[in-house]
Amino acid sequence: MKPLFTIKAGGPTSWAVRVVCAAALVYVLLWIPTSGSNSLIDTATTALTLMGAALSLNLLLGFTGQISLGHSAFFGIGAYTTAVCVTRWGWSPLKTLPIAFAVAFVVGALVSLPALRIKGVYLALVTLTLGVVFPQFIKWPKIEWLTGGSRGLTDTGFKFDKNNRTFELFGWNPWGNLRGENVKPFYFWIAVVIVLIIYLICRGLVKSRVGRSLVAIRDNSTAAAVMGVNLALTKGLVFGLSAAMCALPGSLTAMKGTVTPDTALLTVIGSITFLIVMVVGGAGTLWGPIIGAIVYQFITEKTGDWVEPDKIPSLLRPFFSWSKTPPAAGIFGLSLVVLMFVAPLGLAGFWKQVVGRVVAVVPKPAGSTTLEPTAPSDGIPTWQPEEPLAEQ
Amino acid sequence: MPLLEVQDVTVRFGGIVALDGLSFEIEEGHICGLIGPNGAGKTTMFNVVSRIYQPTRGSVRFRDEELLTVPAHGIAKLGIARTFQNLALFPSMTLLENVMVGAHSLGRIGFGRAISRIGAASDNRRTRDHAGDLLHQLGLGALAFKAADGLPFGTLKRLEIARALAAQPKFLLLDEPAAGLPHGEVDGLAETIRGIRDQFDLTVLLVEHHMSMVMGISDRVVVMEFGRKIADGTPAEIQNDERVIEAYLGAPA
Ligand SMILES: Nc1ncnc2c1ncn2[C@@H]1O[C@H](COP(=O)(O)OP(=O)(O)O)[C@@H](O)[C@H]1O
Ligand SMILES: [Mg+2]
Repeated sequence: MKPLFTIKAGGPTSWAVRVVCAAALVYVLLWIPTSGSNSLIDTATTALTLMGAALSLNLLLGFTGQISLGHSAFFGIGAYTTAVCVTRWGWSPLKTLPIAFAVAFVVGALVSLPALRIKGVYLALVTLTLGVVFPQFIKWPKIEWLTGGSRGLTDTGFKFDKNNRTFELFGWNPWGNLRGENVKPFYFWIAVVIVLIIYLICRGLVKSRVGRSLVAIRDNSTAAAVMGVNLALTKGLVFGLSAAMCALPGSLTAMKGTVTPDTALLTVIGSITFLIVMVVGGAGTLWGPIIGAIVYQFITEKTGDWVEPDKIPSLLRPFFSWSKTPPAAGIFGLSLVVLMFVAPLGLAGFWKQVVGRVVAVVPKPAGSTTLEPTAPSDGIPTWQPEEPLAEQ
Repeated sequence: MPLLEVQDVTVRFGGIVALDGLSFEIEEGHICGLIGPNGAGKTTMFNVVSRIYQPTRGSVRFRDEELLTVPAHGIAKLGIARTFQNLALFPSMTLLENVMVGAHSLGRIGFGRAISRIGAASDNRRTRDHAGDLLHQLGLGALAFKAADGLPFGTLKRLEIARALAAQPKFLLLDEPAAGLPHGEVDGLAETIRGIRDQFDLTVLLVEHHMSMVMGISDRVVVMEFGRKIADGTPAEIQNDERVIEAYLGAPA
């Protein structure tokens, strides 16, 4: 079956599609904090938090092929760096972001030292240990003076009071009211900026010589070394960078006011959640974790009250009424199994397949000769453009 | 001065002695055939030069520089590229991307410049064009945007040559490039190897079981058996060498 349309990569049509998608994205981002309900803004902020963590993990696992079950610890390092700086030393929360980034980078790079020698299941176990130990470490009596032990820390975020300035543009105010009456949009925008930073870092790397070397390490590390890729240095930097980026959304959770070591995302549950979001969305694709986080948070919200049988839609009641807890995790687990068969590259990969049926993107010719790129045909696996959303 | 000097190299795997005091030399500009029965240690020799295996003894000098102190990722920068007997491609990438990774050692874009995008776009364009030209030259241009996974073995062996050339090497090691090729295409491959040697001023070390090809294009031939060199000379000398005939070529019909 031939695709209905063909688009030239980098041609006017592809640019038009990009502009339209970007405009739609900006519209949605402005609409949520100005017109959305408080709970929608909260949901969106949580989705963005997961997105940031899943994007970070994706650089390490999806692109470089190094598994980590310890990313909840890096997330937690971000949260505690912010909390400690704000409560003990009275820093302004936003200024703690670079510190959280730096601390997590150093810890991540140190963890990568054993990771340079070990692979697969062993690496999973070493990083899992990190994820398990982190909350225990926070509760360690000897450092309780700093971390607040199992009670955690409070007042770790912004101080909102009547004297704060409120920014308004012709009476239009997308960032909320910093006098403490309406602060949710403010957190939302911090989350947006954090995700944007992480996305741009990942995108920059992936679409460069470095990104190609990462995928090369994942696909065949011996061959990568023969091509001149410094395995130890590259893996170490990626591990550190991935950890550092993951600390940023962690920081954001602390900015909301309290941090405890038993917060789900700071425990191994967090690591598993980031992993599931990333894999369901599409490991090794730039947009996978973004799609994954939105879908994950949407399902979590929708099924949050499915513990009472009469809240479950009647069609689905027989399948879920036995559960005593919200079934979101189960639904995601099942969809993971289905996706493995239908679309190994997750929802993003599935989207590419579907779009590929309708629109064929003809890549720019490569080389100085009159090399004409062939349009994708049936049967043989074909090259797909990197960003289905932008190209679509 | 020879381009590559292998002296007394010994590699052990547990009880197996894969290379047993192997010594030979390759002159610059030559195509040097390396032949020997399966298990003779030819691939092990490649892996020593690529710094994948560390010999227990010996020295390997390239342009008078000791290779055995260079890290594996430093070999490509010195101008040494290779292909793999059993393919070591990047299956999730397209052919074009595979060749682009081959040019890794020529690039300058590190983490900082990749993230800040300073010069990254022009680096991509240059690398991409360079890779596209090489694919075209090796007759793979039409497949540039296909995924490497699932293409015929012979095609992928050719892709490995393109990827190795992307590093603009001075010294190219080919491990059984004709394996998996239909008989009719072997002559074409021999032609290709000679062509790239002349065009890029290469020195080539060629491991191949296809005798007529080796004897046809090699300037010199080194014969190995049980990790040792048993003969060394021009193709004509090798074909008449008693020991080689006995050990490897078999009695003439
Ligand atoms: N990684 C390895 N581990 C153990 N034994 C090996 C390894 N690589 C090669 N060998 C052994 O070394 C010997 C030489 O192998 P090889 O270099 O592949 O021979 P050739 O390429 O000439 O056919 C064989 O006996 C092989 O089994
Ligand atoms: Mg071999």
